Amino acid sequence: MINGTVFFAFVVGALSGLVAAGAVIWAKDLRLKMTWWKWLPALLWYLLLNFSVLLAFTMIGEGETGAGLKMLVFFGVILVILGAGLVRLLLAGRAADKGLPVETG
Amino acid sequence: MTDEIKKKEGGVSRRDFLKIGGAAAAGLQIGAVAGAGLAAGKDPAANTGWQHLGDNTQFVDRKPLQLKGQPYEKVGPVLRPEEVESAFGRRRLMMKSMKQGSRGSQKPAAEAAEKKTAPPKDGPPEAVGDIPPESRPGAKPSGSGKRKPGPPRMKMPPPDSFVEPLAGFYKTHPDIYELDKVRLESIMPKRREDEAKYGDFYTLINAWQASWMAGQPIEDPPEISDFQMASPMGRGRKIRPSIPFKSPQLAAKLVKKVAHHFGATMVGVTKLKPEWCYNHSLRGSEDRGSYEVPKHWKYVIAFGVPHQWEQVQANPNCGTSFDAYSRATIAARRLETFIKSLGYPARRHSPMDGYDLIAVPILVDAGLGQQGRHGIVITPETGSNFRAAFVTTNLPMEIDKPIDFGVNEFCKDCHICAEICPSASISYEETNEKITTRGYRHWEINQTSCYNFWMQSMGGLGCRLCLIACPYSRKNNWAHALARTVDTNDPTGLVNDGLTWMQKTFFKTPEAAEYLPPPDGRFATFREPPDWLSVKEYLDIKTLDPTKGE
Repeated sequence: MINGTVFFAFVVGALSGLVAAGAVIWAKDLRLKMTWWKWLPALLWYLLLNFSVLLAFTMIGEGETGAGLKMLVFFGVILVILGAGLVRLLLAGRAADKGLPVETG
Repeated sequence: MTDEIKKKEGGVSRRDFLKIGGAAAAGLQIGAVAGAGLAAGKDPAANTGWQHLGDNTQFVDRKPLQLKGQPYEKVGPVLRPEEVESAFGRRRLMMKSMKQGSRGSQKPAAEAAEKKTAPPKDGPPEAVGDIPPESRPGAKPSGSGKRKPGPPRMKMPPPDSFVEPLAGFYKTHPDIYELDKVRLESIMPKRREDEAKYGDFYTLINAWQASWMAGQPIEDPPEISDFQMASPMGRGRKIRPSIPFKSPQLAAKLVKKVAHHFGATMVGVTKLKPEWCYNHSLRGSEDRGSYEVPKHWKYVIAFGVPHQWEQVQANPNCGTSFDAYSRATIAARRLETFIKSLGYPARRHSPMDGYDLIAVPILVDAGLGQQGRHGIVITPETGSNFRAAFVTTNLPMEIDKPIDFGVNEFCKDCHICAEICPSASISYEETNEKITTRGYRHWEINQTSCYNFWMQSMGGLGCRLCLIACPYSRKNNWAHALARTVDTNDPTGLVNDGLTWMQKTFFKTPEAAEYLPPPDGRFATFREPPDWLSVKEYLDIKTLDPTKGE
């Protein structure tokens, strides 16, 4: 019998791999000139998103529904603000490259 | 075949698969994380507790937390606690006074009023004070509004009409006299009215509380009872000659191991300081006066057992102390028998069987935790959610050291217990610098006003709000474990401030006054009681729900 935690780690690991692979393609298609200092904040933002959801739903699971929902709103606002900054960062340098052929393959 | 050709043929290219799959995986991952959070929050294994009978319940390594100095600062002559200092002790002395001088017409009535909550001779005062009359064995069932109100209101006699030392104490402590007077003249009559009106609403919590009764008083003084077997097999038989251990370290290791299996969640060992023993009412002794601490009480094994998780959240008006009292007591009896079976004298000190010593400083000395603003001990594992029991013995054991995991700093800024206390018994002082008792500086609450609120509450008498509102008394899932770990290791105090802010901002609890009886309050509970304590859910009786303003 597969231990629940192990199974969960396996599923989330597989999903993470797919998310990462997809993100690379999206970045290319959107002509984002990705560098390590762009990937790092993007990764941190995504981790914060996961952390916020995990924390809020843990509180809801504990029976602290009000606290969980407030946390979702609180972290949601932070994520939107950080997300807006992240989008600006990712799009930096993209306008000048308009019209260049998209790399495929 | 290239991606371009695949697209033309209507297929899905690898590129599109990764793009769509990646986006879908992100959504799925968020869903999985939400599900994992729900599961972690609901997981009963995270209810800090008694149910794991093994040493894995004491999961915090105390070595790095060991304190170099002493946990309490000595600031004057050290004294042992006197009976008159405690609200329960004064209640006994008050009854004694009234018995001796029941001459006036009102005095028998006053005696009857206090007798309703009087402790048995050897029992723990708080344990007995916790039993509402209707929950006691043999109590008649009641109906809402049908019960007769109790005896008429009575007057508190003047201070000098009491026996000594109570008369002298009241003269030097007029504030405490006033609080005791308020209890006798106002709180107790109102309590009887509330019981008559709302008692049925609390039928299940009272039945649950009564079910945990398990007292077995100690009947002989230490020089006899500590040297006799107490278990049903061989009761009264003298203990065998002592069997030597290979080392004090191994003795402590074994005692802790079996104590966990006997039901103790956290265990520690220390040497017993005489000043932590009461200066009155030695159990099993005819004399209630001062006594010399027995020489064979060299070591004390201290342990803690938490409350059942769901009912402790429903304090103060739908919880009880008796579940943890009972488990701690039974663990203490088992440990006493174990030690006696190896030929060493032992005496249990537990909520149901009574104490000859005070709990808090011994728990601190034994490294189980630190004293908080609310006057009770906070442990790294269960916060304040536990009840203590002890076994005194002369079995040589390696002792533990007091620990420091940041409670003093945390309590400075938190104040949550003081803010939620319905009787305003907890200090708002920034530190405990100005609070000294019997020669030591430490946090202390106003136990008389605290006790007065016990007498006002319904459904499992007592309060325990500070115990469960303490931010350390949270579940042991990843979120709270992370918060505790990061906070303990943050020297800047920023995490402390952040967590306190989150606690106060996100977690809504009733205001202090809401816990009071109507009309000032509504007998609120910290969290909703579990459905298995709901009379409406299970019993075919009509009740008035004070929490809904009925």
